[in-house]
Amino acid sequence: MTASPAQALATAARAVAASKIYGSGDTEVRALDAIDVDFEQGRFTAIMGPSGSGKSTLMHCMAGLDTVTSGQVIIGDTDLTTLSEKDLTLLRRDNVGFVFQAYNLVPTLTAIENITLPMDLAGSAGDTAWIDEVVGATGLTDRVKHRPNELSGGQQQRVAVARALAGRPQIIFADEPTGNVDSNTAGEILGFMRSAVDQMGQTIVMVTHDPVAASYADRVVFLVDGKIVDELADPTPQTIRDHMTRLGA
Amino acid sequence: MFKLALRSLIDKKLRFALTTLVVVIGVMFVVGSFTLTDSLRSTFAGLAEDIAEGADLTVRVDQSFGGDFDRATVPAAVAERIAGVEGVGRVQPEVAAINVFIIDGDGEPIRPPGPPALGFSFNPGAFFITEGRQPAAPGEFAADTATAAGNGLRVGETYEINGPLNAEPFELVGVFNFGAPDSHTGLGQTMAAFELHEAQRFFGTQDGYQEIGVLVSAGSEIPEVQARLAAELGDGYSVVTAEVAAAEQEEDFNEVVDIFNTILLVFAFIAVFVSTFIINNTFQIIVGQRVREIGLWRAIGATPRQVSRSVITEAAIVGVVSTAIGIGLGLVLALVLRAILDLIGFPLPPGPLTLQPRTVVLAMVVGLGVTTISSIGPAVKARRISPVAALTQDFRLGATGLRRRLIAGGAAFAAGVVALAAGMTGGLDTTPRFVLLGVGAVLAFVGINIVSPVFARPAASVLGRPVRALFGMPGRLASDNAARSPRRTASTAGALMIGLALMGLAAVVGESLKKTFVNIIENAVEADYYIQSAATGFGPPAGFPAQVADEIEALDGIDSVVRIQFAFGGLSVDSEPRDIVATDMALADSHFDSQVSSGDIAGGDPLTALALHSDSATSLGVVVGDTVEATFPDNQTETLTLVAVYEDAAIYGNWLIDGALWDRHFNRNDLAFASVRVAGLSGAADESQQAALLASSRAAIDDVIERYPTVKVEDKAEFRQTQEAQITSFIRVIEVLIGLSFVIALIGIINTLSLSVFERTHEIGLLRSVGMTRRQLRRSIYWEALIVAVFGGLLGVTVGTVFGVATTLALPDSFVQVVAVPWLDLVVFVAISAVAGLLAAILPAVRAGRMNILDAISHE
Ligand SMILES: Nc1ncnc2c1ncn2[C@@H]1O[C@H](COP(=O)(O)OP(=O)(O)OP(=O)(O)O)[C@@H](O)[C@H]1O
Ligand SMILES: [Mg+2]
Repeated sequence: MTASPAQALATAARAVAASKIYGSGDTEVRALDAIDVDFEQGRFTAIMGPSGSGKSTLMHCMAGLDTVTSGQVIIGDTDLTTLSEKDLTLLRRDNVGFVFQAYNLVPTLTAIENITLPMDLAGSAGDTAWIDEVVGATGLTDRVKHRPNELSGGQQQRVAVARALAGRPQIIFADEPTGNVDSNTAGEILGFMRSAVDQMGQTIVMVTHDPVAASYADRVVFLVDGKIVDELADPTPQTIRDHMTRLGA
Repeated sequence: MFKLALRSLIDKKLRFALTTLVVVIGVMFVVGSFTLTDSLRSTFAGLAEDIAEGADLTVRVDQSFGGDFDRATVPAAVAERIAGVEGVGRVQPEVAAINVFIIDGDGEPIRPPGPPALGFSFNPGAFFITEGRQPAAPGEFAADTATAAGNGLRVGETYEINGPLNAEPFELVGVFNFGAPDSHTGLGQTMAAFELHEAQRFFGTQDGYQEIGVLVSAGSEIPEVQARLAAELGDGYSVVTAEVAAAEQEEDFNEVVDIFNTILLVFAFIAVFVSTFIINNTFQIIVGQRVREIGLWRAIGATPRQVSRSVITEAAIVGVVSTAIGIGLGLVLALVLRAILDLIGFPLPPGPLTLQPRTVVLAMVVGLGVTTISSIGPAVKARRISPVAALTQDFRLGATGLRRRLIAGGAAFAAGVVALAAGMTGGLDTTPRFVLLGVGAVLAFVGINIVSPVFARPAASVLGRPVRALFGMPGRLASDNAARSPRRTASTAGALMIGLALMGLAAVVGESLKKTFVNIIENAVEADYYIQSAATGFGPPAGFPAQVADEIEALDGIDSVVRIQFAFGGLSVDSEPRDIVATDMALADSHFDSQVSSGDIAGGDPLTALALHSDSATSLGVVVGDTVEATFPDNQTETLTLVAVYEDAAIYGNWLIDGALWDRHFNRNDLAFASVRVAGLSGAADESQQAALLASSRAAIDDVIERYPTVKVEDKAEFRQTQEAQITSFIRVIEVLIGLSFVIALIGIINTLSLSVFERTHEIGLLRSVGMTRRQLRRSIYWEALIVAVFGGLLGVTVGTVFGVATTLALPDSFVQVVAVPWLDLVVFVAISAVAGLLAAILPAVRAGRMNILDAISHE
């Protein structure tokens, strides 16, 4: 473990000896292998690793979209493994944000309606001033009445990030949020996420294959075969590439 | 991966099952109705032979029109001449009457619910005693085994019998099987048999016979005897062999079977038609969902032809499977229908089910036809899908333009209305009329269905407004989803619409009939009491003993009694049979106000007077004072003089003659209806005196009625109530039957909702991932179904009301005069369709709730 001043910060989410096993017997796949990981508040963490290493599985289990086979997943003070299906749903709605690789938006709702969707589902108005601020930060103020199919891929992803931010969740998970867009657009999305961390104090965990994308983060965690094998603080594209080459070797 | 593949297979299985089920129902109805009616026909053919076997030859008066019981009798003298003809062995004269009710041991009349209550002279050739002996003297009777056993009649006991003339006690001396010695072949009718002369006296058939059965003597040839008899009797009589008599019987039976068949086929038709909508809808959605897959095929070299063929093949497979299942279930349906008929009082003789090749062919035409025809549209759309679709993320199938929809739909609708109008008004035979009406209805509905997507979106958002307001985000999503694909919403709603439109039509026409009737009773009827048969049900109105009217007339405090008799095809003018009413024309005017527009009903010689409703007078081109040549069922022709033309046909129908003229030409004595006026009402000092007069006369009438359990008396208010209730229950039965199409529409909604839920899998996963609870998700699907169903309900009720009002206006005034819309019923119909929509949403909603979020998210 690299020493870092950030370790002093409070933890937003944490996995303790978390394992996820798919199938059984001969076909058993150990997607997460007794992982221990902390995500500190107000920091931007990137997760990298080869395909099939368990990155998405980790995101899903941390966000309450899936359950671990053993171990614990904790968001704030809540142990997710003790929650019922309904409480998990409410936790996702109120305390967690999630951004998928693509198609994050409900096609019948406008951009602003997509952003406020979790609050609408909760039947609360949300913090309007905050929502205005988030919308302002996306740079899409004049397009909020548009439907997703009238927005570009990058704009759609920014709306998705804005939705994740709008409810001020304890933590946001993003699974390859820039996997589907060109590098310019990726830059816009990543810049937006970076500023959410810097200016709004949001905690974000992001999976990516792109060293440039990962370099927007404060810290990079490397995953191989369901285990955390390494991590890197204050990364640059070059240091990340070096690490990856080393891991691959 | 495997999990996903399995999941989509399960989805397809359900879709396949639901689509198949829809077609199965249509096929089942077609097969069930033909099988049942074919089986009935073959059973009846056997029965008719049994009945006719009693005599080698039958002699009777020629009859070219009119009811069987209105046939003129063969005079006794002629019977003697027959006996004298060479080769005639035994002569068996017969009389028969309808409305001969046996009163059981508890004083209750034995009333078959549909078939008639019959009286006969005992005929040893067709009636086979199983217990006791045949009736041989006055005051004796025998009953058929089914009636005796079913009502606990015991040989040796005396029972009251209400005949056409009066009520008398008779001793039950025997029980018999009808048709064959060892089994009774009845169709639910009750049969009371008397000694010949006793029957003549009790039925009031004077000294004539309805038929004379002849058994040829040993050694004589039937054709020779037939020829000799014909020569002896001359014109006006017919001498028929047992075969001909059997064929005629069979034809009579078949007429009933045909009506039954027509009713069943109408339902089959509705079922098939509704299924067509649903199957078409299903294939549209399937093609829509497979756009990318089909685009990929095209990209790797599949021709448009191959693409459309694959769609039609899928439909054909559904067609073949459902035809096979439908035929099997159709046979079961035939058995079930037979059991139901048996339960409600039409016991049918047992016999094997007859599945004719014609039925199988029809089933295939329906099953395969419906599926392939409904898949043509989607197949054409599929072949137009370009290879680019595989690459485009959000490729949508081309929707038909608004203008084209309006034009095509409007044209189809207009053509349908023209066909309907022609079918309703044109003087056509039954078959072309039904074909026109059927084609017209189909075209009109197809037209509406083509146009309805145009207003599906606005309607869905208007209907969605309260849902949005009340149910927050789930409500919002529900209303968006309902408005999302107007075509789909419209055709799902369309399936519901058809049933509701027909129910609405029935309700409006029924309500108008009811209002018309109430108006008549309020305005046209001036008598104080009404006497009629206490029988209720859907059979022809039963008659009651004429004696009842005589006894009431003789009571103190009664001013007058007017008797009404009725005959279908009671006389023929210009070779066309006309239904007639006979009454006391001199008195009738003081009991009923039929709005005489010219002449005077009471103003003619009773033996030649004729009064007509203005419709008939106009179509015949006659005015008061003109003469009309009328032939009666006894083949006699009279010159009648038109004495009056009236506007209100409610009581008199279209043709009115006097009872005196009736008595000359009819042997039927029972009354259909009688009205009573109490004496002294206008001279009464005040209302309480009037009430006292009415009460005392009512008490006296009740005393008379008590002795005739088949008869009831009602005052104006009661009369009105029972008539209203009767119309209402009749309409309800029709509505319930049409409501069967609801079941099909329900499956249609399940199907469409399941498919659209499947189509939205990714979106559902997304909503769940951002915190939509299962309950919220299920609710949004319920509200969506509710919006679609209410849209269908409103559409149907609107269409039904328009058609109902049009029908009411088109029907002759003599039938309905008032247009009335039963608003409450219509609201209830919409509510029913809303409930149906919610029920249909349960399965798709539960399935959506159970979806695994991550699987759903990874679903494109
Ligand atoms: N539903 C499932 N059933 C069985 N095995 C699964 C399932 N989901 C994931 N796996 C397996 O778990 C392992 C981890 O998968 P995961 O999707 O987390 O990888 P990843 O790191 O996100 O890969 P990528 O970079 O390709 O997205 C893989 O071996 C995968 O095959
Ligand atoms: Mg992944």
